[in-house]
Amino acid sequence: MNPQDYDIVLKIKDESDIAVSRQMAKNFAQKMDFSLADVTKIATAVSELARNIYRYAKEGYIYIRKKEGGSEKAPAIEILACDRGPGIENVELAISGGYTTSERSLGLGLAGIRRLMDSFHIESEVGKGTVVIVEKRRRVF
Amino acid sequence: MKETIIYNLKTLVEEIAESDNTKKEWEDFLISLADAFGSEDMKGRIKEPLKNLLNFIDVSALVRGMELLNARIEGFPLPEMLKVVIEVLDEIKNDKEMRIRELGHVLAELATPIIRIWRDVLLVPLIGTLDSHRAQSMAEKLLERTASTRAKVVIVDVTGVPMIDTIVGGFLIEMFNAVKLLGSDVILTGIKPEIAHTLVKLGVDFNMVIIKRDLESALKHAIEITSDNRGGRYGQKRGSDYEE
Amino acid sequence: MDKKEGATMKNKVVPTIKLYDYLLVPIQIELDDNTVERLQMQILHEIHEKEVRGIIIDVSMVDVIDSYISFVLSETAGMAKAMGCYVVICGIQPQVALTLSQMGIKLKDIITAQSLEDAINILDKLE
Repeated sequence: MNPQDYDIVLKIKDESDIAVSRQMAKNFAQKMDFSLADVTKIATAVSELARNIYRYAKEGYIYIRKKEGGSEKAPAIEILACDRGPGIENVELAISGGYTTSERSLGLGLAGIRRLMDSFHIESEVGKGTVVIVEKRRRVF
Repeated sequence: MKETIIYNLKTLVEEIAESDNTKKEWEDFLISLADAFGSEDMKGRIKEPLKNLLNFIDVSALVRGMELLNARIEGFPLPEMLKVVIEVLDEIKNDKEMRIRELGHVLAELATPIIRIWRDVLLVPLIGTLDSHRAQSMAEKLLERTASTRAKVVIVDVTGVPMIDTIVGGFLIEMFNAVKLLGSDVILTGIKPEIAHTLVKLGVDFNMVIIKRDLESALKHAIEITSDNRGGRYGQKRGSDYEE
Repeated sequence: MDKKEGATMKNKVVPTIKLYDYLLVPIQIELDDNTVERLQMQILHEIHEKEVRGIIIDVSMVDVIDSYISFVLSETAGMAKAMGCYVVICGIQPQVALTLSQMGIKLKDIITAQSLEDAINILDKLE
């Protein structure tokens, strides 16, 4: 991964960085012409990702970029969150959580992020860190 | 080659056009071809004329025409021409797909009207299958309308929905919960026996909404709710949806 | 109330308005984790001080409510409930409502209302 491939690089170190990253993601999604509902979903997902970094890893980065969809598809927004924190022991458990069962799963908000976005990938190793990559495609009108 | 085409234009057209009404188009195309031939951007310049020609003749007729030109004209760049043809066909296909997508969208719009059926009451008759795309657009539209009209009750009629599986059920639950977050009530109606059967089997529970037998009783209930909430401060009746 | 808490009360996170027996809390600032936690303390103290029986939180100016913010709001409502006070939230933006419901978040212990007027009506009907 090369940071230069991304449009926005956010360092998460302080609590206030959560609100900043949320705002940056919102502006970027707005510029990409996402619907207001999707802009809110993207900003919320970034807020959750930033909080996880701050809470569990103390510091980390969030990368945001626009991905062109070619002639066939609409463009998408890609968000990558990575940290060198403690990692997640049971990834399956962290991202599970149905509509009726536990509302907050492990309290990581990962289940929520997964529902808000079109694609969701997570790699985590205990003691090494966590990488989450999510994508949301703009709907064609 | 340019000259060959121009000098023999009439004969070529006579030979190549399979019916009288395509003569004009072939002639236009051949002139553009002659004009573009040899220029740097030949490919780009004949794309449009070719597209135009394809509006009038089908692909097999075009191929026959190309073969004929190849036989009649020395040095006719057949491989290049065919490449352009393929590109143009690809573009036409994309255009068509886009049209289909647009029409699908128009259809989805038409299939989800939001009707103000009574004061403070909206009716949403759902018709057809719901995919994620349509469900999201519909939810956005409904939420927007509910907020802007300050509707007190939203009646969702699923009579026109062929089936509700866990995915569609999930969409509906999300939409209902969102409407409730705006402070409005949802009344669900029109659940057919086979849908009720699958809902229970799949464990989809619409416990966050009021369910009514038919549209008539749904509307009646909606009117009761809205008149309960009238009267402002020190209103007459109590009736809250507060869950302890 | 100890000294530290008293000091928090002086610099309120959100200016509030007392209306009938209710306390109106219009949130007109961006909610970050720290703010929302301080707001929780502020609300609890004001319930106690002003003897209100209902809190109305107006979030019509709030663009993003994520899982933590909603968790703290629900938690606050639970605490208020323990003090005999209802919490009504009003003015949730449609796109925020969609996001919350898609994430599967429920605002436990909180009553939702369409508008300030609606919120007052609902509270009037409760004991």
